[in-house]
Amino acid sequence: MSRIKELQKNLFGGSTSNARQFGMIFTLIAVIVYFQVRTDGLTLTPTNLIALTQQGAYISILSIGMLMVIVAGHIDLSVGSVAAFTGIVVAKAITENDIPWPIGILIGLGVGALIGAFQGFWVAYIGVPAFIVTLAGMLLFRGGNQYIGNAETITVPKGFQKIGSGYLPDIGPETNYNNPTLLLGLLICVAVVIREFRARKVRQQMEGAEPTPLWVSLVRLGVLLAVILFATFRFAGGRVGTSFPISGIILAVLVVAYSFYTRNTAGGRHIYAVGGNARAAELSGVKLRRVNFFVMMNMSILASLAGMIFVARSAASGPQDGLNWELDAIAAVFIGGAAVSGGLGTISGAIVGGLVMAVLTNGLQLIGTGADKVQIIKGLFLLAAVAFDVYNKSQGRFSIVGSLMRPFRRDTPADPVALAEASREEEKAPAAG
Amino acid sequence: MRKFYSSAMAVGTAALLALSMSACGSERDGDGDDAGSGKGFKKDALIGVALPSKTSENWVLAGGLFESGLKDAGFKFDVQYANASSPVADQQAQITAMTTKGAKVIVIGATDAAQLSTQVEAAKKSGAVVIAYDRLITGTKDLDYYVAFDNFKVGQLQGQALIDGMKAKKATGPWTVELFSGSPDDNNSGVFFNGAMDVLKPLIDKGDIVVGSGQKDIQQTATQGWKAENAQTRMDSLLTSTYNTGGKTLDGVLSPNDTLARAIIQSVKSAGKPIPVVTGQDSEVESVKSIMAGEQYSTINKDTRKLVAETINMVKALQGGNEPTVNDTKSYDNKAKVVPSFLLPPVIVTKANAAQAYADDPKLAPLTK
Repeated sequence: MSRIKELQKNLFGGSTSNARQFGMIFTLIAVIVYFQVRTDGLTLTPTNLIALTQQGAYISILSIGMLMVIVAGHIDLSVGSVAAFTGIVVAKAITENDIPWPIGILIGLGVGALIGAFQGFWVAYIGVPAFIVTLAGMLLFRGGNQYIGNAETITVPKGFQKIGSGYLPDIGPETNYNNPTLLLGLLICVAVVIREFRARKVRQQMEGAEPTPLWVSLVRLGVLLAVILFATFRFAGGRVGTSFPISGIILAVLVVAYSFYTRNTAGGRHIYAVGGNARAAELSGVKLRRVNFFVMMNMSILASLAGMIFVARSAASGPQDGLNWELDAIAAVFIGGAAVSGGLGTISGAIVGGLVMAVLTNGLQLIGTGADKVQIIKGLFLLAAVAFDVYNKSQGRFSIVGSLMRPFRRDTPADPVALAEASREEEKAPAAG
Repeated sequence: MRKFYSSAMAVGTAALLALSMSACGSERDGDGDDAGSGKGFKKDALIGVALPSKTSENWVLAGGLFESGLKDAGFKFDVQYANASSPVADQQAQITAMTTKGAKVIVIGATDAAQLSTQVEAAKKSGAVVIAYDRLITGTKDLDYYVAFDNFKVGQLQGQALIDGMKAKKATGPWTVELFSGSPDDNNSGVFFNGAMDVLKPLIDKGDIVVGSGQKDIQQTATQGWKAENAQTRMDSLLTSTYNTGGKTLDGVLSPNDTLARAIIQSVKSAGKPIPVVTGQDSEVESVKSIMAGEQYSTINKDTRKLVAETINMVKALQGGNEPTVNDTKSYDNKAKVVPSFLLPPVIVTKANAAQAYADDPKLAPLTK
């Protein structure tokens, strides 16, 4: 039993070892397998994986920012409107004022930063609740989108469309696969191996730290590499002219950067401190206002990026852009295990949460379920995912939220009672997703 | 024991790796040929139909007709409506899903005419033929055909009906009117409006028709999302701003469709004013009732059954490897190419000719008795 526990503890959480993502990843795998069977293998075809990445990229970018906002104990309802507003400003700038599109992107990010600074100012320095500020922002910038765009749809040039619907180019020798994608996959594999062995080394050198058993490391590596290789060949083997989408690369870079920031830097940890207990954090020297200002501003910048990617994917900026995006992003964050009261949650959790929703929608569409039923199923799924977790927590069983709440609990493998209890927990764990 | 585990795991890992490699089918082989070019396809191939959200009866009716029509013709079909909360993104995803499933023809009633070019391009590349249904898709050269009613003609008929209706009530001008147009993200809205203005403009210039509020251009008159509530709100405001004081009476309202027409009439009624001449389009059940009751003045009969039947004829022609019939190859420029179109003629319906116009319609005929 202890081996299963070791495996579960170490397989999915990296060196910080936590079982919390296990439930959600298990759900994700279950959903993928279910639809892979139901659609006769369409779900994991290159075309569909590429489409999924492009469809999910902009919502996932939003959920990175939303996770940080929610961890800090706030909420942002304005992201859809900010995205739409930025989209129309950039589209107009590029098409009507003949600004080159790379500068258009910079303008877009600048607009996002300005809006973010505006909203952050009210939240952090005046103390208006973020709910109210961003509700106002939602109206303000939706109206702004229609005022500037005359509620028309404005087409953007081909170059700009690349960030939303472009792919890694086909270069190098003919291998029947997209070479840059293969290279990218290989690099990720190397990075994963190096990271694993570095982590082991660090643990071995650290006094009192128990290194992950070798076989667990190997299994973890094996599973990770298999998944990466599988994905690489799938993405590289898409129809000629398609490969790993550029929007996916943007998302991946952001996920890595923000995960590092929230996990390993003082600034990132301050966000958790503020969300966990603002007074205590302030008394410990965290600059409360600066943290609040930063998360709100950061959110709007990411929203503007998401807006531009959507416009690029749609080839045009329209008056219905960004409708209800905030709800999708918030759902992803909560399915990924964040707490409504703040202080808890991870970026990878939010991404997995978003992935589960995206695969669910995509799978239902592939088997031809109507939009009405898709919405009903998604609604129930959201409720069930969070309710199950909360219920299990109140019953003292394995819980995604619950396991987050006791990060300092030490496992005591020497104690047979605890061990038996722990292994009983594990048996229920898979169902917890 | 430990050794056993680690070797077992190593074997398992290797097996997993091998599995993942072997499962990596590439879609690159034998692809890239431009399918759908006159060769036809299997009789029971999948046909995708992507329609906007269920905001008007017409789309619901069309969806049902597509399902039964395609089924009778022996095709597999996938008829989808976009959801109402984020329709554009949802429709994009639906079209992509149809492409993934290998649909041979994809019929699209666009939610936003300009935001589908990426998906249409992907569909075309995978070998599907793309037909725009009722709403032209702009900005892509990969759109193959367009099937619709002659919408400029619809606008002209609406303009003429407005004039006729007002003349019947008050023989000579000047008449005071208000103008409404459809959603700015729908390519048809401008076509309807321009058609109507084609008839109304000369009289406006002469001073026989006066736009009471002065709101004459398409941005000012637009109804976002074709939503009844937006039209009703705008009419409420117009009545307050222009017709509340000063004794101006409203003689007519140009409304682009029935849903908006009823919203406008509702607004006028709740303000306690006499109902002006209101035009419409689509022959919705409630509006036909309203016309028979003498409230709404006119509607347009665009028989959805004929339009769907014509679209399915195209699909059948494509299946057999034939070129579908078109009757207009120069009017509909989608900014990337002139799209070959099949246009059906619309019919204006007022109380006078309703019984005759709907004689063949099982749902509407009883209402006109």
